[in-house]
Amino acid sequence: MHTTSGALNRRRFLGGSLALAAGAAAGPFLAACGGGDSGGKATEINALLITGGDRYPAYWEKVTSAFKEQTGITVTYDLLQFTPLTSKEITLAAARSTQYDVYSTHTAQIGAFFPHFEPLNNHFDAADIADFFPVAIKYMTNPANGELAAIPRNMDARTQYYRRDLYEAAGVQPATTWEELAAVGQQLTGGGRFGLVLPGQGDPAQRQFADFLWQAGGEWLDQNNNVTFNSTAGVEALTFYRDLIQTHRITPSDVVTYQWNENSAGFTNGTCAAVFDWPGAYASFGDPALSTVSGSFATAPMPGHKTETSCAISHGLAINKYSRKKDAAAEFLRFTVTPDALVDQYAEFKNYPSRVSTADQVIGKAQGPEQQWLSDLRTTIENGKEWPKVPGFDKVSTVVQTAVQNALSNQMSPQAALDAAAEESTRILQQAGALR
Amino acid sequence: MAVSQNVLARAPVARHSRVTPQWLTGYALAAPALLLMLVIFLYPLGHSFVMSFFRWDLNTAESPFVGLGNYLDLFTGSSFMQTLRNQVVFTVASLVIEVVGGMAIAVLLNSKLRGLRPARTLLLIPPMVAPAVVGLNFRWLFNEQYGLIDATLVRLGLPAIPWLSDPGWALVSVIIANAWQNTPLLVLLFLAGLQAIPREPLEAAAVDGASAWRTFWAIVLPLMRPVVVIALMIRIIDLFRTFDVVWLMTQGGPGNASNLLTVEAYKLAFQSVDFGHAAAVSYVALVLSLIVLALLYGIPRLTARRAATWQN
Repeated sequence: MHTTSGALNRRRFLGGSLALAAGAAAGPFLAACGGGDSGGKATEINALLITGGDRYPAYWEKVTSAFKEQTGITVTYDLLQFTPLTSKEITLAAARSTQYDVYSTHTAQIGAFFPHFEPLNNHFDAADIADFFPVAIKYMTNPANGELAAIPRNMDARTQYYRRDLYEAAGVQPATTWEELAAVGQQLTGGGRFGLVLPGQGDPAQRQFADFLWQAGGEWLDQNNNVTFNSTAGVEALTFYRDLIQTHRITPSDVVTYQWNENSAGFTNGTCAAVFDWPGAYASFGDPALSTVSGSFATAPMPGHKTETSCAISHGLAINKYSRKKDAAAEFLRFTVTPDALVDQYAEFKNYPSRVSTADQVIGKAQGPEQQWLSDLRTTIENGKEWPKVPGFDKVSTVVQTAVQNALSNQMSPQAALDAAAEESTRILQQAGALR
Repeated sequence: MAVSQNVLARAPVARHSRVTPQWLTGYALAAPALLLMLVIFLYPLGHSFVMSFFRWDLNTAESPFVGLGNYLDLFTGSSFMQTLRNQVVFTVASLVIEVVGGMAIAVLLNSKLRGLRPARTLLLIPPMVAPAVVGLNFRWLFNEQYGLIDATLVRLGLPAIPWLSDPGWALVSVIIANAWQNTPLLVLLFLAGLQAIPREPLEAAAVDGASAWRTFWAIVLPLMRPVVVIALMIRIIDLFRTFDVVWLMTQGGPGNASNLLTVEAYKLAFQSVDFGHAAAVSYVALVLSLIVLALLYGIPRLTARRAATWQN
């Protein structure tokens, strides 16, 4: 039974007591400092930002310096890679920390943070928000109250990267359907090389399953949030995923231990002829210092089955709900998603712009393979989805990750694995109060 | 005499000890450390214990009291029993490998064979390596495509082993990696214990013509019992909190095949953002390890008491 109010509530008691004590102690101090008012003009804000490579520190330094020059507001920031960043934000949100005013975030995890991020609807014009890709805004918005929790900085969607030289030599085209994917993969597998590489562990495995689930015409949940990922479509999706590894054998046999890095490495080291990868991979695949296939790859849209749906997600920035400098934080957020900032981000990292108008501008200037790639990405984004944003879904996704691995490693049949996960997920959603 | 009495009467130490009892001074001096312990050790321990009785996640602002609900969810869920079995297998197998292997190596190093001195130094390396580094290295060593171990097996004409991707081998792989890092620690402990054994009973056994094996079982091992018990206690505590190696090698997978209690707690807290259940898993681990430690502590005392009764 989910109790929402009136019941014994330790968090409220502790929170109230601590707030009372802290307020009594801190009041005179804050008054003396003249801070504490979100409406006041802050001169310094703290941000917890994402990093992911050598160029990120210089990039954020450039952004924050330009912001200070324009507004006079200093941004002090810490950089963390995605996984530790998420763990730290979970800890800080659980503690109602005021340490950071701005958080870097992502659609994949934002469901857990809806109660802890400041709604942005009052900080951004509706007309301005309309310029962002609808799929990004949809999944950054709390479905329970329609409040926008983060502003998307860039779009993350996958395209098919393939070895143009190998495909031409074999006389095959990039796959457009599941059947072609298996057939082309088999044709290119042999002599120590594999036709395809997929992730099979953790969150990446969940995303791959999500793509196949949607492409098979399935959904995670129905309109009342009942579990549907173990439907016929779900079983078909997981069976196809498993068969690519265990029956068709077109992937390395140990992909059940692969996440994104191993996935990308299989393509860049030349052992795998195709991979589904994110926008950032375009730059690293094309860099001769990082890739043995820099001059011999091309891109194509994701293959489909009953639909051509794939993940379309985004990195974003949010304001800590417990921040005391929300106006200054909002100013920083607005600064990071201006069209100029998005164009700069594309130039720096090949990050696909989150604004439709900016994406059009970038595609218009691109040429040759790069323009093809951007158009392929645009197709994925326009067909794109993300998993449901309902309370408890973070736990459901962890349960599904285990189920997917159970099937991929032949410990359970796809049907049995998904049924077991569905049963547990139903209980989780009930406890979280998500079922309608 | 009168002078010396006067001096004593004026001595600050004597006056101080009359005013403040010695025990109170001791407590006063220890108070800052005790307070620090309370804050950094007991408070989180108590806080997480209380948390295990509440539905506590990031998704909602409310956290209702659920009694034993979190614990019941664990034991009625689809995968927790497998995690518990994994923990038991991991703990028992690791203890057997590390204690038996550690004792064998220690006995060898304690012998008078030549050239063993460098081996003692080399033994210090594995325990000095960070567990995270061990996990990453073994992930590469056990890699099926590029790993050194499978490459060697194939060169020897043997089949490659799916170390990390096969559910049957995944737990074995993390046990091997963990044993590689920790067996040397037990070797050092056992070596110290062996070198502390008095020479007289060993010389007497030699005079009586006892074989090396008989001497080991009848004299060396009983005398080493306190060292072995301490070693077991240290390792059991460590094995119940093993995380880094498993996380970096398999993340508890494939599926749930190598999942341990600490890994499960981490997944629940930082992937599922479900702190209530994560706290419950941590307390299951704590209680289990305390039970095992209590047995380990109690059995030698019990057997010793029985032995004393029989002797009487």
